[in-house]
Amino acid sequence: MSDTRSESVAARVREARETRTALRIIGAGQWLHAGAPCTAERALGLRDDGGVVAYEPGDLVLTVRAGTSLAEIDRVTRAEGQWLALDPHGTNDGTIGATIATASAGPLASAFGTPRDHVLGCTVVTGAGDVVQAGGRVVKNVAGFDLVRLVTGAWGTLGIITEVTVRLRAVPQRELTLVAAISTDGELEAAWRWVRASEVAPMAAELVSPRLATRLGMGATQALVLRFGGNAALVDAGVRSAATLGRCTDVDMRVWSGLRASEPADGFVARASCLPSEVVPLWRAVASEAERAGGFAHATLGRGVVRCVVPLDEATTNASNGAAGEAPARFAGMIRGTIDAPPRTTWIVERGVGRDWPTPPHDAARRALSARVRAAFDPDDILNPGILIT
Amino acid sequence: MSAPAPSSVSSELAARLATIVGEARVLARAGELRSYESDGLPGYQLRPALAVFPGTREETIDVVRALADSGTPFVARGAGTGLSGGSLADGTVLLGLHRLRRIISIDGDNQRAVVEPGVVNASLTRAAAPFGLHYAPDPSSQTACTIGGNVAENAGGPHCLKYGVTLNHILALTVLLPSGEIVALGNGAGEDEGYDLLGAFIGSEGCFGVVLDVTVHLARNPSAVRTLLADFTSVNAAAHAVSAIIASGIVAAALEMMDAPSIQAVEASIYAAGYPMDAAAILLIELDGATAGIDDDVAQVVAACRAEGAREVRVATDPADRARLWQGRKKAFGAMGRISSHLVVQDAVVPRTRLPEVLAQIQQIGERHGVRVCNVFHAGDGNIHPNIGYNASDAGESARVHAAMSEIMAACIAAGGTITGEHGVGLDKLAYMDALFTPATLGAMCALRDVFDPMHRANPGKVVPVHSCREWHGAASSRAARESR
Repeated sequence: MSDTRSESVAARVREARETRTALRIIGAGQWLHAGAPCTAERALGLRDDGGVVAYEPGDLVLTVRAGTSLAEIDRVTRAEGQWLALDPHGTNDGTIGATIATASAGPLASAFGTPRDHVLGCTVVTGAGDVVQAGGRVVKNVAGFDLVRLVTGAWGTLGIITEVTVRLRAVPQRELTLVAAISTDGELEAAWRWVRASEVAPMAAELVSPRLATRLGMGATQALVLRFGGNAALVDAGVRSAATLGRCTDVDMRVWSGLRASEPADGFVARASCLPSEVVPLWRAVASEAERAGGFAHATLGRGVVRCVVPLDEATTNASNGAAGEAPARFAGMIRGTIDAPPRTTWIVERGVGRDWPTPPHDAARRALSARVRAAFDPDDILNPGILIT
Repeated sequence: MSAPAPSSVSSELAARLATIVGEARVLARAGELRSYESDGLPGYQLRPALAVFPGTREETIDVVRALADSGTPFVARGAGTGLSGGSLADGTVLLGLHRLRRIISIDGDNQRAVVEPGVVNASLTRAAAPFGLHYAPDPSSQTACTIGGNVAENAGGPHCLKYGVTLNHILALTVLLPSGEIVALGNGAGEDEGYDLLGAFIGSEGCFGVVLDVTVHLARNPSAVRTLLADFTSVNAAAHAVSAIIASGIVAAALEMMDAPSIQAVEASIYAAGYPMDAAAILLIELDGATAGIDDDVAQVVAACRAEGAREVRVATDPADRARLWQGRKKAFGAMGRISSHLVVQDAVVPRTRLPEVLAQIQQIGERHGVRVCNVFHAGDGNIHPNIGYNASDAGESARVHAAMSEIMAACIAAGGTITGEHGVGLDKLAYMDALFTPATLGAMCALRDVFDPMHRANPGKVVPVHSCREWHGAASSRAARESR
């Protein structure tokens, strides 16, 4: 099957390779400050390379060009009672290609997983200018080595994703969103226990800090936002179970898109993660720090992931230490381990403004493997150079 | 830069391995090696030059480093239940890892466990039971196969329809590269960053290295489970019922189909499950989750089956009844083994909407070649397992079986499918890789293998056809030469 659009991307890559011109791969261009600073000279935009390639609703599988927006995917699939259960941060104008390339996930990941769990196949143009068909269009596939997982989350540094096949799900028969105010430490502990043990597992359970709750119109206290889906009996049971958390309020489903879009275009964004059993102390340390720095935080409790957001003004003003991706000073300290965060915390900086980015805590052998992967797939270092520190 | 396979292993190396693991754990005599000449797919028999069985992590590291020092190729093997010829060693060293069967830790609070690669799949689930947890991927060989083998093959199983395959349940690995270097992949206590080398390693069929320990995610046991047996008078009707259930949006925990020859083989064996002997096909459907709402889903599935012409739909809630229904399915290949001396089990995936048409094609292909194709498979995933019993000493019959299987694979590829959903490529599917992937894609796979094993010493000659890698390396070096001018 000839794919002339991917071939034309390949021609541009080969041309860039000949002239040793580094390329900045751009989807909708919403997140240009995400990732570590990129030194590319020329932009290669994929936003116009969108559209559905194949959609057979009975297979719950969709193939689209990488420039297709999440909004378009939502429109096409909902018309068939289906959806792509991914809710990455940002707006629905973002492209599927960028979502896969950055492996961005939101609150739904606790029930449905991250992009690596949704992608069945993709077409990729490597830094050598080869068009590679990774994976396939069926829901189960172990034919050959797993190039799909390799490029998912590689931030475009191993290849430019031009086409994507994803697994879809049927839209739940019923959906409902509830908010429970979490005012005391006791309530926080109870909320955490409920999320870990509830017989009816919500599709999402996100803890939000007071400033974020205010922005989302849910009052000015820390709150747990729960999303239930399933048949009527299951959703009703979820609502009854959540009532043990205290007073719960029904809210509009749009609170979830509000949460996704809550982040400023520029700012410092980092995720701290730990074992789920340790997430409450991590939350206490990190959320209060984010609020103090003028930002906010939210946590996917079941996954043990806390996301901290500090708008650019506050971040730069507070960044007197100038470190770790220009985090506010105390975050930079936590990331470097010089200021007490709970032990065994993994920090991933998504966005920042400076050049001093934290290095992932990988052993030397893994760093060497990563360097060899990069050299094999982008021998001249022309794809998004610098954006991903491995 | 493939290392040439030595026809035998030097006596110096054999002696060095014996000092590491003890004389009794190094096998070199033909008679002793016979059990290691094949895996679960009896069509292939290849004899290793030597087999070595370390009993600890330290011994494993020392063995692999000794193999690296001498530049010796090797093939890692768990329980040898694989169905692709993937763990056969042809005149090289077979590295058996089934003695590494320690469950290092189980963390009930965080739903995870750390285990050695030789731990048997079902023993992990047994060990997790007191915590109300289980290890979700459940290949039919789960009472024998090892977690290390599951990682190498990215193993599936009936319940992967809802819960996902091995990939979706592994949080971290400690890997011993063929060079003897140790590398930590993934993150057992938080998110991982950088290239997803963990994902790349899972399903690499022993070509990227040896697993020293595995951190797995354990799933919570559902509070309610219902197992349904739906009985159809045609395979086509059963296949349409599968599509109807998928389209309803109910995600069954498992959705399995068995056709008449498979049902009859099971019912004639000690694994008899009470399946209707006169059915053309049955569906075994499992729903699980919270108690609330589950019976509404059951009612909807029953209605979908009836609408497609099911004669009867039985619903089992009692654990003993459910176990009996499952036993017939899980032991189906064993039951068929009673009928013929050899059994070839195929593994392919097709888009779920194409199931009725592909199953009809398979039937016609079998008739044309005069072989009897049975089907027992994961219908909900479109993952089919056509299998043919035959007598391997009858050359004519073997040739007909082989021809039929090749046509079946071609039909699956033509339907937009793939050549393996869970058994791996190994040796058995090598010949189909060129039909499925472009040269550039196979080249990229070779490049990835080079990252982990530049000397191609780990499981040489498997997964990607050797000629693709040669062409790739040829093209890459001519490109480099052109560019250096």
